[in-house]
Amino acid sequence: MFSATRAELTKIVTLPRVWIVTGVSLALHVLILSQSVHLNASAVADIAPDGTIEIFIGERQPADQAILGLLVASSLQISLLLPILGAMIAGQEFRSRQLGMSVLAVPRRGRLLAAKTLAAGLYLLALAVLIAALSVAFMYAGIKDWNPDLLVSRAALLGQARFVAFAVLFALTGFAIAVIARSTLIAIIVTVALIAITMTQAATAVAPSLDALLPLSAGRNLLLDAATNKLTAGPAHGLTVLAGWATATIAAAAVMLRRRDAR
Amino acid sequence: MIEITGLGKRYGGTTVLRDVTFTARPGRVTAFLGPNGAGKSSTLRILLGLDAATSGTALINGRPYRDLKHPLRTVGAMLDGAGPVPERRAVDHLRWIAQSNRIPRARLREVLDLVGLGGAARQRVKKYSLGMGQRLGVAAALLGEPEILVLDEPVNGLDPDGIRWVRRFLREYAAAGRTVLLSSHLMTETSDTADDVVIISRGQIVTRGSLAEVTSGYPSLEDAFFALTSDRAGTR
Repeated sequence: MFSATRAELTKIVTLPRVWIVTGVSLALHVLILSQSVHLNASAVADIAPDGTIEIFIGERQPADQAILGLLVASSLQISLLLPILGAMIAGQEFRSRQLGMSVLAVPRRGRLLAAKTLAAGLYLLALAVLIAALSVAFMYAGIKDWNPDLLVSRAALLGQARFVAFAVLFALTGFAIAVIARSTLIAIIVTVALIAITMTQAATAVAPSLDALLPLSAGRNLLLDAATNKLTAGPAHGLTVLAGWATATIAAAAVMLRRRDAR
Repeated sequence: MIEITGLGKRYGGTTVLRDVTFTARPGRVTAFLGPNGAGKSSTLRILLGLDAATSGTALINGRPYRDLKHPLRTVGAMLDGAGPVPERRAVDHLRWIAQSNRIPRARLREVLDLVGLGGAARQRVKKYSLGMGQRLGVAAALLGEPEILVLDEPVNGLDPDGIRWVRRFLREYAAAGRTVLLSSHLMTETSDTADDVVIISRGQIVTRGSLAEVTSGYPSLEDAFFALTSDRAGTR
């Protein structure tokens, strides 16, 4: 299993388009974060004696809570590119018939998919941690004169762990959809559609409980503060839904990979 | 030793292989011949675990391919339906294959030099000519120093020098006691290389035997091939 996983990691890191999407994601993240440093510093400088801060005009909230919410939210927006990256990692197999070579090398399909999932998960985990670390670094620049210890508090670390779980599980869902569809493009379309349903609140209009079953909505429910955001379920529900999406799609991918000829 | 027995394959309502049976033995080059669409690639894909058979068995040293531990160290294969991603460098393509079967890294340079791609190892595969792509396929097949080689149309796209190299290489490989099974539609090349011949037409084996047995009564292998595949003269 170790050798197969190592080979899958090599496939990931030697594919130029993976580096391009990774680089673009990180560059965009840095660009967005760099623009928020001054805004965060200004907001922190104006914290009231009662410990409240005004992030959005006319809305005062406890400063600690607001800063931690901002920290997680800043990582959340860029992590929406990770399912696309997951789809590209899996979709490489279906370009130029590489899947045939992969099955020649690792003929047990279950073992092959396990190695692929583990390798993709490790790569995406490293990227999610890097995104979270960048968010912390830029937030530190904004609040260092107020309460820099807040960024390593238990609440902050828990928030970051939740973000990493969301990013990896959602990206693995995109990865698995690409295996099921045997197409990077279809997987990207499906994941973008899932994101769009949450963004447009189309499912919320029908039933909040339905919205809570969507992966991005589950991510919001897991990561954001219910006191300042309109959420459709609690964090435990969100984590369960995200794990369910990843598990169900990977299981479906395993069945498809096993039943189909390697084409 | 490769043993294929009663192999059948159906796609929906279409039968592409029917009761395909033959053996490729150690120390011999076995040519697997047939017109386009006759079932050569389907047979090889089933043998190597890429496609599932509807019936029959395809065994390598008495076991299905998927039961081999580190299969590339037993079987080296080059198939039309198993290639590299064009954007990846050739050396990286070989590296992941080697890692998957615990093949030493030093072997990469050896096989690249062996097939004449030592100077182009760091090029992306999309910049390769058809012949260079074929050489890379042969390099991948040889990575694990396998005792069995399965090559699907290995000389396609090769220049005359490359074709001669492949012919000599396969002869030497078999002479060392190893098994070589190659599919081809080039009769002259095959008759210069093969010890045994298996001819398939419309999904069924029409003849099998040593080169001398198959060509007996015909001026050449090409004449035997066309006589046997044009009118389906029946299994000999």
